[in-house]
Amino acid sequence: MRTFDVRRRILIGAAGAVVAAAGCKKEEAKPAANPTETVFADFAKRVDAYMKLRKTLVDSVGELDPTKSQAEITTHATKLANSIIAARAQAKPGDIFTPELSALVATLIKQEYSRRPDSVQETREDQQEELPAFVPTVNMLYPTTYPLATFPATLLPLLPPLPEQLEYRVVQNYLVLRDIEANVILDVMPNAVPT
Amino acid sequence: MRSRFGAATIAVALAAAPLGAQVYLPMKSGSVRFLVIGDAGTGGREQYEVANQIVRYGKTFPFTFALMLGDNIYGSERPQDFDRKFTRPYKTLLDKGIEFDAALGNHDDPNQRFYKPFNLGGNRYRTFKKGNVRFFVIDSNYLDPEQLKWLDKELAASGSDWKIAYFHHPLYTTARRGPEVEVRAVLEPLFVKHGVDVVFSGHEHIYERYKPQKGIYYFTVGGAAKLRKGDTHPSPMLAARFDRDRSFLLAEISGDSLYFQTVNRAGTVVDKGVLARREVRPPPTSTAAPAPAKTP
Repeated sequence: MRTFDVRRRILIGAAGAVVAAAGCKKEEAKPAANPTETVFADFAKRVDAYMKLRKTLVDSVGELDPTKSQAEITTHATKLANSIIAARAQAKPGDIFTPELSALVATLIKQEYSRRPDSVQETREDQQEELPAFVPTVNMLYPTTYPLATFPATLLPLLPPLPEQLEYRVVQNYLVLRDIEANVILDVMPNAVPT
Repeated sequence: MRSRFGAATIAVALAAAPLGAQVYLPMKSGSVRFLVIGDAGTGGREQYEVANQIVRYGKTFPFTFALMLGDNIYGSERPQDFDRKFTRPYKTLLDKGIEFDAALGNHDDPNQRFYKPFNLGGNRYRTFKKGNVRFFVIDSNYLDPEQLKWLDKELAASGSDWKIAYFHHPLYTTARRGPEVEVRAVLEPLFVKHGVDVVFSGHEHIYERYKPQKGIYYFTVGGAAKLRKGDTHPSPMLAARFDRDRSFLLAEISGDSLYFQTVNRAGTVVDKGVLARREVRPPPTSTAAPAPAKTP
């Protein structure tokens, strides 16, 4: 409940950023729906669209069940990744993380970071230390020889929820949307995270 | 507070490298016996040397399962890497039917959840029971609201005497990178609320045992292959520490007691003791708050 209240306060505060980013017209007389909800709903639709596409691809390569064979796991991940990349060959930054969502989320993250004590900031910096300075791009495989930076636990509840097959990750100052099983970066949000 | 350990001691080699395994665990009938290793999957010489000691101790202290605290496979995760970093070093244990119960570390591909020998069953987090002990395997890399909700529910529903949680990132440590205060902020309230007894973590490549924090015993056992020599630091919160070599921990739970010993790569016991289950511990002697002044 407390998380919800905090989130609500932040969202209200961040709404201005969304309105600005969306270029809302002054002449709209009727108060529109909560801009934050609108942006989050649009994001959910885009995620749903990806999940529908993903389901067809999973159906074609088959579901992966627990196995003793690491080769089977690797092969399955590669097949799924290749089919996702092929199906989204035209995908570009902002297709899922729209500019409106990016503006909102960047504000949320900035506010959240500013509330955290030094000890938390240091932990977050340490988590990034282990990462190489690679630039994440859409349809890139997350480099498998590098660790995945732990996602700030108190930041997650503020972001729009994702289906279990997807996750957010922070890479340098990027927020990244990643398909976990396929290890494919689906979208990137530059300058989302304070450095 | 009277400690069942007696005076807190900084862990030192309790004896010179032994010829035979020095087992201080009582090996009671019907007890739950397990191994704890963290940050093991390098495939390097040290991992194999630690594994050899584990096998040696396993002959005297036959445990039936092993908790893996994450960073199970460092670097690339090709089939040959799983061979070199897991199945070969622990072949003797796997051949004996020892069950490995892994948690995910920051160096682990989450697809390890599909790797059957790690027993995650396709999930990033899970719970399982052994005797009177309920274990909670947590993915501390990604503590999304769904996982926390699941943990809250499962902890509440646990009818077991003992509740033991394990995951990769330590909530308390004196190591250079420091404790994961953010992970602590979300997990500790649930542990306290539901009476978790013991927590095992890795991540830091050292060994540490904390005095109870809010009633919970915390161990960091992150040196089963990697080592950050000299990376533990004196603290009044610590009951024991060891950072001179690699190490692993053996544990036995019988009734309300958890017996443990920590062994280094040379086979020397560097820490040992017995813990009481939270519910049967004597209450801590706290400084009583003054009674509030009476209002007229």
